[in-house]
Amino acid sequence: MKTLVKAAAGIAVGASLWAATASAQDQIRTIELLTRPQAAQPAEFQAIQLIAQEWRKLGLDVNVNVMPWSQMADAVWYNRDDWDVTAWQMTGRPERSDPDEIIFNLFHSSTAENGYNFIGYENPEYDALVEEQRVTVDPEARQKLVLRAQEILDADQPNMMLVHPQQAFAFDKTVFDPATVVDQSGIGIRSYWTWLELTPTGDQKDIIVNSSDNVIAVNPLYISGVTDNWLTELIYDRLFRVGPDGLPQPWAAESYEWRDDTTIAITLRDGLTFHDGKPVTAEDVVFSYAATTGGEAPMYAPFGSNVASVDVEGDNTIVFSLNTPSASFLTSSLAKINLIPKHVWEPVLADLSTKDENAESYQEDTPIGSGAYKFVRWLPNEEIVLEANADHFNAPKAERFILRLVPNAEAALGMLRSGELNFLTDFQGDPQVLLDAAEQDGDLEVVSTVDIGFRYVAFNLRRPPFNDPAFRRALSAAVDRRLIVNAAFKKFAVPSNSVVSPALEYWHASDVVSGFEAGSDVAKAILEEAGYGGIGDRLTYPDGVTETLAD
Amino acid sequence: MSTLKPFLIRTLQLLLVLWAVVTILFLMFRLMPGNPLAAYIDPTFTAEQQEALIRQFGLDKPLWQQYFTYLGNLLQGELGDSFRYRTPVAERILLLLPNTLILTFSSLIVAYTFGILAGAWLAWKRNSRFEAAALPAVLATRAMPEFWLGMVLLAIFSFSLGWFPAGGTRSAGTSYDSLWQLYTSANFLSHLFLPMMTLAIYSQGLPLLLMRSNMLDVMKEDFVTMAKIKGLSPSAVVIRHGARNALLPVMTSFAIAVGYQLQGNVVVESVFSWPGLGRELVNAVAASDYPLAQGAFLMIAIVVITMNLIADLLYTFLDPRISHA
Repeated sequence: MKTLVKAAAGIAVGASLWAATASAQDQIRTIELLTRPQAAQPAEFQAIQLIAQEWRKLGLDVNVNVMPWSQMADAVWYNRDDWDVTAWQMTGRPERSDPDEIIFNLFHSSTAENGYNFIGYENPEYDALVEEQRVTVDPEARQKLVLRAQEILDADQPNMMLVHPQQAFAFDKTVFDPATVVDQSGIGIRSYWTWLELTPTGDQKDIIVNSSDNVIAVNPLYISGVTDNWLTELIYDRLFRVGPDGLPQPWAAESYEWRDDTTIAITLRDGLTFHDGKPVTAEDVVFSYAATTGGEAPMYAPFGSNVASVDVEGDNTIVFSLNTPSASFLTSSLAKINLIPKHVWEPVLADLSTKDENAESYQEDTPIGSGAYKFVRWLPNEEIVLEANADHFNAPKAERFILRLVPNAEAALGMLRSGELNFLTDFQGDPQVLLDAAEQDGDLEVVSTVDIGFRYVAFNLRRPPFNDPAFRRALSAAVDRRLIVNAAFKKFAVPSNSVVSPALEYWHASDVVSGFEAGSDVAKAILEEAGYGGIGDRLTYPDGVTETLAD
Repeated sequence: MSTLKPFLIRTLQLLLVLWAVVTILFLMFRLMPGNPLAAYIDPTFTAEQQEALIRQFGLDKPLWQQYFTYLGNLLQGELGDSFRYRTPVAERILLLLPNTLILTFSSLIVAYTFGILAGAWLAWKRNSRFEAAALPAVLATRAMPEFWLGMVLLAIFSFSLGWFPAGGTRSAGTSYDSLWQLYTSANFLSHLFLPMMTLAIYSQGLPLLLMRSNMLDVMKEDFVTMAKIKGLSPSAVVIRHGARNALLPVMTSFAIAVGYQLQGNVVVESVFSWPGLGRELVNAVAASDYPLAQGAFLMIAIVVITMNLIADLLYTFLDPRISHA
């Protein structure tokens, strides 16, 4: 009897020993690394090649898989369990001047299923922290929380942050006074403020800019594209604007007052008029906010979703009551939602509510706003002409704002030199070419700015081995970001280890970036400490870990 | 009767070809990898909105049902709404078509006028040293890719010499009361010149070589010998008896060349920022905007097929020996 038990125990021990050795030898499968094609995204493609090379040195088998954006978005965004690692980017937009949109939406567990947390990051401590910063209205207290959030992300490395690109723009300094160009923090000189302040010095009074993207729509209720946004920004006023310093400031609002954490009273500026001559009233403001959440403008709806009610007090005071306190409300709602004329849009929205289409498919012949520029003409795929609204409280110094649609980057640069353009707002070519051209020409000034946006490599945290923070840190540490900056971005970028750009000085955690150690040796040491085997040869999981993938 | 029947048969064939084109277009775009709505991803875009959009465009229905809806709509002249612009495709195409047509036809007229004259001249100069130099040069222009030629012309005549503007149909901010005023303005013509020349240089080779070889054939014909024997002057022989007869196939090739030219437009319109249908087509395909891409392709297919029909019928009228009966 005793021997039988002993034998059984022996078998059990043997079995467990066998199992342990088998799992210790469990090789990490070939990792699929996604990137967009070289022709479309040369810097991204180059960076991914460099990264794959460094990862292979660790003993990881990497297969770079090149696919166009529409296919990549499908593979990553709509099939969240099936991908391994992908190159990704977030673009800089004025409303991202508040860190909330990035640090909340990208990493909060509530957005993991079908929102922007497509990597599947779940960390209760982090969730609590970003929820708290959202309702912390005191800037200093909030700053501490935002910095802490960046430290957690640094420790967890849910993404491998690569760089914040630098965008280069150029203008003709013989046409405009260079001192009147406004460099908006994180946005650059292609900013709303430049279009107001830019002062012509000679006979050419028009600002002529370019875009390689087509204009899809000029519609205050539809976020149709980056270029389109330049136009709606100019045609429509908003209660607040993100200022050159990246912080919100009153615009169509004369003044404002927080009555408590969830109530803000806005006094509307006197004498505002729409381009058709009718005054902008408090009723128009209430209507504008109702329109965004009324179901006909789905893309704007999230910006108004925290508003419980909007009421008019007296002639020109508007009181917003919020569902929950919101630190970013000025930036993400008041500086975001366009003020539209009730007399134009009320019948339109009433008509649309009986149809399948919503306000996004409605294009006015002449969009009417109250902004600093008036809409004049739109020639499809060729140009859009706006003219200065001389009656505006901040009337532009130039006479017209003309957007030319130029799909060819070399041609755009040539046009800048010949005077067909005088402000290069979109240059898809090599920035060095732009610098060389400026030097050769003598009339051009090039200004580059660090972007709010960033480039990164996203890990699918739902799938091993990327569920292990040590493994992610090792992969992230394997690549010196200076290599990416120099070789892939031709020096037009700054190294990153935080989703909050250094352009947002107030919110950026600089020690997270400066303290990040990288190099092949660093990466190998991390892997060794975490128990991974076959380093530098063929990586295997630590003892006892087997590779299991959900179907 | 004898002229009506072939016309009817041809038209019937044309409709069959159109149906095939329509079907291929429908399938082609739906077999492309990727999600057509991926272009509209935004952090603020919820899953419900995504689904609402899919429903709005009918993408939730089975493929065969989408196909019949599409055919039914086409029969009523309804091309659907563009995914990107959210506006009717037909409206968009009609806005851009005139720019494409004016570029296509002006370049073809230049190419054919030059090609026919130079072709006849080269045939006349048969076996000369001039011919030895000219023929390889013509072949070289045929071999040059249009986008490359376009960039070279831009670099020389726009960026270096500054003679012509680099893009668009007019200077920034200029407006005209009517299309006619625009098309006859010096501003428009100077913008038209470089893209037109790019296309014309590329396409003059075909009429030139065709004209030359036809001339060489015709000049061997009995009636030409007869004309010479009658003592007509060399110019009368070449122009009245030679060229007029050699011209026939060249003229019909014009119709077919329109189709090729529209192909070239896709590239040249992008190089010269020309607001035409070709550039829109590139954008639409890149953005997986099925309805717009289908509409633009269909419009081009209709122009090509119609021009082919005209070419066929032209033969019947110009040369009674050819019969469709």
